[in-house]
Amino acid sequence: MNARIGWRLASIVVGGLFILAWQFIASAHIVSPVYLPGPDRTWTALVRGFASGTLLAQLLQTVQRMLLGWLLASLVGIVVGACIGLSRPARAYLGPTLEFLRPLPASAVIPLGIAFFGLSDGMVLGVIAFGALWPTLLATVHGFAAVEPCLYEVSRVLGMSRLAVIWKIALPSSLPDILGGMRLSLTVSLILAVVGEMLASRTGLGSGILIAARTFHAPDLYAGVVLLGMLGYITAQGLFAVEARLLRWRAVR
Amino acid sequence: MDPQPLIAFDRVSMTLGGTPVLTGIDLSIDAGDFVCVVGPSGCGKTTLLRLLGGLLEPTSGEVRYAGKRIVEPRADIAVMFQDYGRALLPWRTVEGNVSLALEALGVPKEQRAARIASVLDTVGLRNKADRYPSELSGGMQQRLQIARCLAQEPKVLLMDEPFGALDAMTRQSLQDEVLSIVAVSGATVFFVTHDLEEAVYLGNRVIGLLPHPGRIASDVKVTLSRPRNQLTTREDPEFARLRRHLFDFIKDEH
Amino acid sequence: MTRLAAVLRGIAFPLGLVVIAQIAAMVSHLQSDTLASPAAALVAGAHAFADGSILIATVQTLANAFGGLALGGSIGLLFGILLGSVVLADRLMEFSVEALRPIPSVALIPVAMLIFGFGFRMEIAIVSFASFWPVLILTRNAVANVDVALYDVARVLRLTPLARTVKIVLPAALPRIFVAFRLAAGIALTVAVTVEVSTNPLGLGYGMMLAEQSLHPELMLAYLLWIGIIGWGLNFAITNAQRRLFARSPQAVR
Repeated sequence: MNARIGWRLASIVVGGLFILAWQFIASAHIVSPVYLPGPDRTWTALVRGFASGTLLAQLLQTVQRMLLGWLLASLVGIVVGACIGLSRPARAYLGPTLEFLRPLPASAVIPLGIAFFGLSDGMVLGVIAFGALWPTLLATVHGFAAVEPCLYEVSRVLGMSRLAVIWKIALPSSLPDILGGMRLSLTVSLILAVVGEMLASRTGLGSGILIAARTFHAPDLYAGVVLLGMLGYITAQGLFAVEARLLRWRAVR
Repeated sequence: MDPQPLIAFDRVSMTLGGTPVLTGIDLSIDAGDFVCVVGPSGCGKTTLLRLLGGLLEPTSGEVRYAGKRIVEPRADIAVMFQDYGRALLPWRTVEGNVSLALEALGVPKEQRAARIASVLDTVGLRNKADRYPSELSGGMQQRLQIARCLAQEPKVLLMDEPFGALDAMTRQSLQDEVLSIVAVSGATVFFVTHDLEEAVYLGNRVIGLLPHPGRIASDVKVTLSRPRNQLTTREDPEFARLRRHLFDFIKDEH
Repeated sequence: MTRLAAVLRGIAFPLGLVVIAQIAAMVSHLQSDTLASPAAALVAGAHAFADGSILIATVQTLANAFGGLALGGSIGLLFGILLGSVVLADRLMEFSVEALRPIPSVALIPVAMLIFGFGFRMEIAIVSFASFWPVLILTRNAVANVDVALYDVARVLRLTPLARTVKIVLPAALPRIFVAFRLAAGIALTVAVTVEVSTNPLGLGYGMMLAEQSLHPELMLAYLLWIGIIGWGLNFAITNAQRRLFARSPQAVR
């Protein structure tokens, strides 16, 4: 245990060294400060942004969109995915279509969204939900389709009702896949939130950093990027923690 | 002695995927019998078990339990699967896995804890009640399956090569555990195995099947004294004779 | 089920949707700035192919995607091999990787825009960043999970670290490294289109946005369909190549 903490600290120190290197490169103007402000100026911009309330407002907007779209997408994805995954005819007819849609870049539907909904909050939310739907949907279909057949036999032998089989066997069995899909969906929803904000000029970190770039306010830009990185990190870790708790039963490899 | 046998296979034939797996099976099993079924692979012994478990319906003929035709799995016939890794719910604890059987039977929540505890005591897993299957050894997982079956308080226990994937020592101790559990509960046992010695050791009756097509070719009574003992029973000359008989019977077919 | 039947079943649903959409469009005499009938989309697509516009856009997008994949992938590969082989490096870099990885590649669009303006370099830079991470992580895992026994073989044969890496570690890890690139290719295409949709006036994404802004929904749909085909085709081609190349590999790779 001590060794683990030791290594963790060492890696944080290494990270600190990288930040120092960044500071050096910026201060020594090896790269123009227009393009690469140092961590000092980035930090100042971060503090300033929060003090004035701007960054917080943007952050909250982005988080709200991201989570709302993700939750919506997850709900629909799980329900629809379960229905498809449990039904062999549904899988036969819909499977190929789903497989075709799997590699489709989610951002490709943005122009469609703009055509229908204009440059509005609704459009951004719709695009987020639509894009985030697929990883969860596909993972859920896979999870429900791949339930261990022996467990279905066990359920027959025990005389379990269809509802009990879905709730007590198919769903828990699919949970690892579903959670994995939801993790991917979360990543997609962050990306689409940022892109949506950029395009529709809605308040948020996405539009914030775009404006900062256009007005050559590099420190504000980098501050926003750091914030987005932290947002991605915290949400991913949060989901990891939930996953670890729900999937305690998995064999430790 | 009951006027009618507990279990009856009446001219049962089974065709699966166009291939005749079993033909003309006539078999009666009395309450309290410990029937072991042996035979080379492809002889249909697992199919026979699944017919009894209500997982399959015979192509022709009838499988009867207490005089009534078996059309679906029955609550008083418990099935134990060979591959314990796939037959247990990995996301439920030991206690949860046993509970599944009680939930399916509709046992009210208040009564479940006591029944689970008693059944776990019987198989010696009481102190592992909150462990997950992934934390248990193969032998323990198989005992968990036994516990789940016992929770149904079954009249008949169907066991499909339950000890095939276990090491010899675990297998022997589980054999004795099964014998003592059955002695106490008085259940009728239908035990499929490829291990001839195991069949003679456990059963009071050994059915031998031969394949192509699957049919009963041998039905011997085992009169070795109970309780069985891993050392003395296996040294009994009668044990050796029965083992030789079964060995020859299987060898002849090849 | 025969392959033909399976294919027909798969096509039935989307084909049905298209037919319904077409009929709906014709019945309602569709005249809209936002919707177009499937037939109109196909016609628009044909035109775009005929005058080469969609082909040029395709080449631009693919150039950006593959350029970024090559750049980010090769750097990711090198670092992945390093982190996978040298435990010290992996441990020391853990925090930095964890801190940088969650940055969404789209967040770097303004940064790249600031430095490069619009054009190929900007898009390739972002695609490189996006492709770098999956290749890094998966290569590291692949290299780190090479069977320990193979390292023993390398020691016994007294191979230098370089020879060991090239002759044993890399071939052993290759199937999984290939999967890493397959995933990264999908990401590269997606990110490229995303950059084009949001800012960069190049390629298929930009073509779609132009069509939308100039109120040509049929052209927009044609681009959407074409992007879907490209994405699917790319994945299909790489998956097939993977199956062909690694069919006899001991590691089961999906």
